[in-house]
Amino acid sequence: MQRRESRTAQIAELGVLTAAALIIFVIENQIPSPVPIPGVKLGLANIITVYAVYHYKWSDALLLVLVRVILGSVFAGTMISFAFSISGALLCLAGMIPISKLIGEKYIWLSSVMGAVLHNAGQTAAAVAVMKTTAVIGYLPYLMISGCIAGAFTGLAAQLVTVRLDSDRKKGEKSSNDDA
Amino acid sequence: MKNKNTAAAVVIAAAAVILLSSIAAVVISRRKPAGSTVEIISDGKVICTLDLSSEPDREITVEYKGRKNIIAIENGDIYMKEAECPDHTCMKTGRLSEAGVPIVCLPNHLIIRYKNGGGDTDAAA
Ligand SMILES: [Zn+2]
Repeated sequence: MQRRESRTAQIAELGVLTAAALIIFVIENQIPSPVPIPGVKLGLANIITVYAVYHYKWSDALLLVLVRVILGSVFAGTMISFAFSISGALLCLAGMIPISKLIGEKYIWLSSVMGAVLHNAGQTAAAVAVMKTTAVIGYLPYLMISGCIAGAFTGLAAQLVTVRLDSDRKKGEKSSNDDA
Repeated sequence: MKNKNTAAAVVIAAAAVILLSSIAAVVISRRKPAGSTVEIISDGKVICTLDLSSEPDREITVEYKGRKNIIAIENGDIYMKEAECPDHTCMKTGRLSEAGVPIVCLPNHLIIRYKNGGGDTDAAA
Protein backbone atom coordinates (compact mmCIF):
# COMPACT_ATOMS: atom_id res chain seq x y z
CA MET A 1 0.00 0.00 0.00
CA GLN A 2 3.05 2.26 0.22
CA ARG A 3 2.72 4.91 -2.47
CA ARG A 4 5.76 5.95 -4.41
CA GLU A 5 4.28 8.22 -7.06
CA SER A 6 4.55 11.96 -6.85
CA ARG A 7 1.64 14.04 -5.63
CA THR A 8 1.07 15.25 -9.19
CA ALA A 9 0.70 11.70 -10.45
CA GLN A 10 -1.71 10.97 -7.61
CA ILE A 11 -3.86 14.00 -8.42
CA ALA A 12 -3.93 13.03 -12.10
CA GLU A 13 -5.03 9.50 -11.15
CA LEU A 14 -7.70 10.92 -8.82
CA GLY A 15 -9.03 13.01 -11.69
CA VAL A 16 -9.26 9.97 -13.95
CA LEU A 17 -10.96 7.96 -11.19
CA THR A 18 -13.47 10.77 -10.55
CA ALA A 19 -14.32 10.92 -14.24
CA ALA A 20 -14.73 7.14 -14.37
CA ALA A 21 -17.00 7.18 -11.29
CA LEU A 22 -19.08 9.95 -12.84
CA ILE A 23 -19.48 8.09 -16.15
CA ILE A 24 -20.48 4.88 -14.35
CA PHE A 25 -22.95 6.84 -12.20
CA VAL A 26 -24.59 8.61 -15.14
CA ILE A 27 -24.86 5.42 -17.22
CA GLU A 28 -26.31 3.44 -14.32
CA ASN A 29 -28.89 6.18 -13.82
CA GLN A 30 -30.14 5.62 -17.37
CA ILE A 31 -30.84 1.94 -16.73
CA PRO A 32 -34.29 1.44 -15.22
CA SER A 33 -34.25 -0.32 -11.86
CA PRO A 34 -35.55 -3.91 -11.93
CA VAL A 35 -37.35 -3.44 -8.60
CA PRO A 36 -39.84 -0.64 -7.93
CA ILE A 37 -38.20 0.33 -4.66
CA PRO A 38 -36.54 3.74 -4.55
CA GLY A 39 -32.85 3.40 -3.76
CA VAL A 40 -32.38 -0.23 -4.81
CA LYS A 41 -29.52 -0.33 -7.28
CA LEU A 42 -26.12 -1.90 -7.81
CA GLY A 43 -24.25 1.33 -7.19
CA LEU A 44 -21.40 0.50 -9.56
CA ALA A 45 -19.69 3.83 -8.85
CA ASN A 46 -19.05 2.36 -5.41
CA ILE A 47 -16.26 0.27 -7.02
CA ILE A 48 -14.30 3.49 -7.51
CA THR A 49 -15.15 4.75 -4.02
CA VAL A 50 -13.88 1.54 -2.42
CA TYR A 51 -10.70 1.64 -4.49
CA ALA A 52 -10.11 5.28 -3.52
CA VAL A 53 -10.71 4.60 0.18
CA TYR A 54 -8.02 1.91 0.11
CA HIS A 55 -5.46 3.82 -1.96
CA TYR A 56 -5.72 7.45 -0.98
CA LYS A 57 -5.85 9.65 2.06
CA TRP A 58 -9.37 9.93 3.46
CA SER A 59 -9.53 13.57 2.38
CA ASP A 60 -8.75 12.59 -1.24
CA ALA A 61 -11.43 9.90 -1.18
CA LEU A 62 -13.90 12.42 0.25
CA LEU A 63 -13.05 14.94 -2.45
CA LEU A 64 -13.51 12.32 -5.19
CA VAL A 65 -16.91 11.31 -3.85
CA LEU A 66 -18.07 14.92 -3.36
CA VAL A 67 -17.15 15.87 -6.91
CA ARG A 68 -18.88 12.76 -8.25
CA VAL A 69 -22.05 13.42 -6.24
CA ILE A 70 -22.24 17.12 -7.15
CA LEU A 71 -21.54 16.65 -10.86
CA GLY A 72 -23.68 13.51 -10.96
CA SER A 73 -26.65 15.47 -9.65
CA VAL A 74 -26.03 18.24 -12.16
CA PHE A 75 -25.84 15.81 -15.10
CA ALA A 76 -28.39 13.20 -14.19
CA GLY A 77 -30.65 14.38 -11.47
CA THR A 78 -32.42 17.04 -9.55
CA MET A 79 -31.87 18.74 -6.23
CA ILE A 80 -33.83 16.00 -4.50
CA SER A 81 -31.55 13.27 -5.84
CA PHE A 82 -28.63 15.39 -4.63
CA ALA A 83 -30.02 15.32 -1.08
CA PHE A 84 -30.25 11.51 -1.18
CA SER A 85 -26.86 11.01 -2.83
CA ILE A 86 -24.95 13.30 -0.50
CA SER A 87 -26.35 11.89 2.74
CA GLY A 88 -25.82 8.33 1.50
CA ALA A 89 -22.29 9.07 0.32
CA LEU A 90 -21.19 10.86 3.50
CA LEU A 91 -22.48 8.15 5.84
CA CYS A 92 -20.92 5.51 3.58
CA LEU A 93 -17.48 7.18 3.77
CA ALA A 94 -17.78 7.92 7.49
CA GLY A 95 -18.12 4.19 8.08
CA MET A 96 -16.00 2.74 5.32
CA ILE A 97 -12.83 4.76 5.99
CA PRO A 98 -12.33 3.58 9.61
CA ILE A 99 -13.54 0.05 8.79
CA SER A 100 -11.08 -0.26 5.90
CA LYS A 101 -8.24 0.79 8.22
CA LEU A 102 -9.30 -1.76 10.82
CA ILE A 103 -9.73 -4.79 8.60
CA GLY A 104 -7.15 -4.19 5.87
CA GLU A 105 -6.88 -5.06 2.20
CA LYS A 106 -7.77 -8.71 2.54
CA TYR A 107 -11.38 -7.79 3.24
CA ILE A 108 -12.10 -5.11 0.65
CA TRP A 109 -15.46 -6.74 -0.16
CA LEU A 110 -16.49 -6.45 3.49
CA SER A 111 -15.72 -2.72 3.65
CA SER A 112 -17.83 -2.39 0.53
CA VAL A 113 -20.77 -4.26 2.10
CA MET A 114 -20.72 -1.99 5.15
CA GLY A 115 -20.33 1.05 2.90
CA ALA A 116 -23.36 0.08 0.82
CA VAL A 117 -25.48 -0.66 3.89
CA LEU A 118 -24.54 2.70 5.43
CA HIS A 119 -25.15 4.45 2.12
CA ASN A 120 -28.70 3.07 2.02
CA ALA A 121 -29.27 3.94 5.69
CA GLY A 122 -28.17 7.52 4.95
CA GLN A 123 -30.54 7.69 2.01
CA THR A 124 -33.42 6.45 4.15
CA ALA A 125 -32.64 9.10 6.77
CA ALA A 126 -32.68 11.74 4.02
CA ALA A 127 -36.00 10.35 2.77
CA VAL A 128 -37.51 10.64 6.28
CA ALA A 129 -36.35 14.27 6.43
CA VAL A 130 -37.51 15.15 2.92
CA MET A 131 -40.88 13.36 3.11
CA LYS A 132 -41.46 14.55 6.68
CA THR A 133 -42.79 11.14 7.69
CA THR A 134 -41.35 7.92 9.08
CA ALA A 135 -43.54 5.91 6.67
CA VAL A 136 -40.55 5.47 4.34
CA ILE A 137 -38.75 3.40 7.00
CA GLY A 138 -40.86 0.50 5.67
CA TYR A 139 -38.31 0.35 2.86
CA LEU A 140 -35.29 0.10 5.15
CA PRO A 141 -35.11 -3.72 5.49
CA TYR A 142 -35.33 -4.09 1.70
CA LEU A 143 -32.58 -1.50 1.28
CA MET A 144 -30.38 -3.24 3.85
CA ILE A 145 -30.71 -6.58 2.03
CA SER A 146 -30.06 -5.02 -1.36
CA GLY A 147 -27.10 -3.12 0.15
CA CYS A 148 -25.52 -6.36 1.37
CA ILE A 149 -25.86 -8.01 -2.04
CA ALA A 150 -24.85 -4.99 -4.13
CA GLY A 151 -22.01 -4.12 -1.73
CA ALA A 152 -20.56 -7.63 -1.93
CA PHE A 153 -20.74 -7.50 -5.73
CA THR A 154 -19.10 -4.07 -6.11
CA GLY A 155 -16.61 -4.97 -3.37
CA LEU A 156 -15.44 -8.06 -5.22
CA ALA A 157 -15.14 -5.95 -8.37
CA ALA A 158 -13.04 -3.41 -6.44
CA GLN A 159 -10.88 -6.24 -5.10
CA LEU A 160 -10.23 -7.46 -8.66
CA VAL A 161 -9.41 -3.91 -9.82
CA THR A 162 -6.98 -3.49 -6.92
CA VAL A 163 -5.16 -6.77 -7.57
CA ARG A 164 -4.94 -5.94 -11.26
CA LEU A 165 -3.67 -2.37 -10.78
CA ASP A 166 -1.19 -3.44 -8.11
CA SER A 167 0.32 -6.09 -10.36
CA ASP A 168 0.45 -3.64 -13.28
CA ARG A 169 2.17 -1.16 -11.02
CA LYS A 170 4.73 -3.74 -9.94
CA LYS A 171 5.37 -4.69 -13.58
CA GLY A 172 5.82 -0.99 -14.42
CA GLU A 173 8.27 -0.52 -11.59
CA LYS A 174 10.17 -3.64 -12.59
CA SER A 175 10.54 -2.60 -16.23
CA SER A 176 11.67 0.91 -15.30
CA ASN A 177 14.22 -0.65 -12.94
CA ASP A 178 15.42 -2.91 -15.78
CA ASP A 179 15.87 0.09 -18.05
CA ALA A 180 18.02 1.86 -15.52
CA MET B 1 -2.50 -9.29 11.16
CA LYS B 2 -4.26 -11.05 13.99
CA ASN B 3 -5.95 -7.79 14.99
CA LYS B 4 -7.16 -7.29 11.46
CA ASN B 5 -8.68 -10.75 11.37
CA THR B 6 -10.44 -10.13 14.69
CA ALA B 7 -11.75 -6.80 13.42
CA ALA B 8 -12.92 -8.46 10.22
CA ALA B 9 -14.75 -11.13 12.23
CA VAL B 10 -16.55 -8.41 14.20
CA VAL B 11 -17.53 -6.59 11.01
CA ILE B 12 -18.73 -9.85 9.40
CA ALA B 13 -20.85 -10.51 12.50
CA ALA B 14 -22.31 -6.98 12.29
CA ALA B 15 -23.11 -7.44 8.59
CA ALA B 16 -24.73 -10.80 9.33
CA VAL B 17 -26.89 -9.27 12.08
CA ILE B 18 -28.01 -6.48 9.73
CA LEU B 19 -28.79 -8.94 6.93
CA LEU B 20 -30.65 -11.47 9.09
CA SER B 21 -32.68 -8.91 11.04
CA SER B 22 -33.67 -7.23 7.76
CA ILE B 23 -34.79 -10.56 6.31
CA ALA B 24 -36.75 -11.19 9.53
CA ALA B 25 -38.35 -7.73 9.30
CA VAL B 26 -39.42 -8.39 5.71
CA VAL B 27 -40.86 -11.81 6.58
CA ILE B 28 -42.75 -10.45 9.61
CA SER B 29 -44.16 -7.44 7.73
CA ARG B 30 -45.37 -9.74 4.97
CA ARG B 31 -47.24 -11.98 7.39
CA LYS B 32 -48.95 -9.25 9.36
CA PRO B 33 -52.54 -8.60 8.16
CA ALA B 34 -52.79 -4.93 7.27
CA GLY B 35 -56.57 -4.42 7.32
CA SER B 36 -58.13 -2.26 4.64
CA THR B 37 -57.50 1.27 5.86
CA VAL B 38 -55.15 3.17 3.61
CA GLU B 39 -53.76 6.64 4.09
CA ILE B 40 -52.36 9.12 1.63
CA ILE B 41 -49.55 11.26 2.98
CA SER B 42 -48.54 14.36 1.07
CA ASP B 43 -45.49 16.28 2.26
CA GLY B 44 -45.71 14.73 5.73
CA LYS B 45 -49.42 15.36 6.23
CA VAL B 46 -52.12 12.69 6.08
CA ILE B 47 -54.48 14.26 3.55
CA CYS B 48 -56.82 11.32 3.16
CA THR B 49 -57.75 8.12 4.99
CA LEU B 50 -59.70 5.55 2.99
CA ASP B 51 -61.35 2.23 3.71
CA LEU B 52 -60.64 0.33 0.52
CA SER B 53 -63.29 -2.30 1.23
CA SER B 54 -66.07 0.28 0.93
CA GLU B 55 -64.50 2.86 -1.35
CA PRO B 56 -66.14 3.38 -4.78
CA ASP B 57 -63.94 3.46 -7.89
CA ARG B 58 -62.55 6.93 -8.35
CA GLU B 59 -59.46 9.00 -8.91
CA ILE B 60 -57.79 11.36 -6.49
CA THR B 61 -55.50 14.10 -7.73
CA VAL B 62 -52.81 15.33 -5.38
CA GLU B 63 -50.67 18.32 -6.21
CA TYR B 64 -47.26 19.16 -4.82
CA LYS B 65 -45.52 22.33 -6.00
CA GLY B 66 -47.58 22.29 -9.19
CA ARG B 67 -46.77 18.65 -10.03
CA LYS B 68 -49.75 16.32 -10.15
CA ASN B 69 -50.14 12.71 -9.09
CA ILE B 70 -53.30 10.84 -9.99
CA ILE B 71 -54.16 8.04 -7.59
CA ALA B 72 -56.76 5.53 -8.77
CA ILE B 73 -59.03 3.30 -6.70
CA GLU B 74 -60.36 0.31 -8.62
CA ASN B 75 -62.24 -2.70 -7.22
CA GLY B 76 -60.78 -2.17 -3.77
CA ASP B 77 -57.24 -1.69 -5.08
CA ILE B 78 -55.28 1.53 -5.01
CA TYR B 79 -52.42 2.50 -7.29
CA MET B 80 -50.58 5.46 -8.81
CA LYS B 81 -52.16 5.96 -12.21
CA GLU B 82 -50.21 8.97 -13.36
CA ALA B 83 -47.38 10.99 -11.90
CA GLU B 84 -45.52 14.08 -12.96
CA CYS B 85 -42.20 12.89 -11.58
CA PRO B 86 -38.94 12.10 -13.37
CA ASP B 87 -38.57 8.46 -12.31
CA HIS B 88 -42.13 6.99 -12.27
CA THR B 89 -41.03 4.48 -9.63
CA CYS B 90 -44.37 5.16 -7.93
CA MET B 91 -46.28 4.01 -11.02
CA LYS B 92 -44.08 0.93 -11.45
CA THR B 93 -44.84 -0.18 -7.89
CA GLY B 94 -48.31 -1.15 -9.11
CA ARG B 95 -51.17 -1.88 -6.76
CA LEU B 96 -50.63 -1.32 -3.07
CA SER B 97 -50.39 -4.79 -1.56
CA GLU B 98 -50.95 -5.69 2.05
CA ALA B 99 -47.68 -7.58 2.13
CA GLY B 100 -45.45 -5.19 0.29
CA VAL B 101 -43.93 -1.79 0.68
CA PRO B 102 -45.80 1.52 0.52
CA ILE B 103 -46.18 3.34 -2.79
CA VAL B 104 -43.78 6.25 -2.65
CA CYS B 105 -43.24 9.15 -5.01
CA LEU B 106 -40.09 10.71 -3.59
CA PRO B 107 -39.88 13.73 -5.93
CA ASN B 108 -43.49 14.74 -5.17
CA HIS B 109 -43.37 13.91 -1.45
CA LEU B 110 -46.27 11.48 -1.73
CA ILE B 111 -46.84 8.17 0.08
CA ILE B 112 -49.74 5.71 -0.06
CA ARG B 113 -49.66 3.05 2.62
CA TYR B 114 -51.71 0.77 4.84
CA LYS B 115 -52.43 2.61 8.02
CA ASN B 116 -51.04 0.07 10.45
CA GLY B 117 -48.40 -1.25 8.07
CA GLY B 118 -44.80 -0.12 7.94
CA GLY B 119 -44.29 -0.15 11.69
CA ASP B 120 -44.32 3.43 12.80
CA THR B 121 -47.14 5.92 12.99
CA ASP B 122 -47.04 9.06 10.93
CA ALA B 123 -44.89 12.04 11.62
CA ALA B 124 -45.43 14.11 14.72
CA ALA B 125 -45.56 17.18 12.50
ZN1 LIG C 1 -43.32 9.30 -8.76
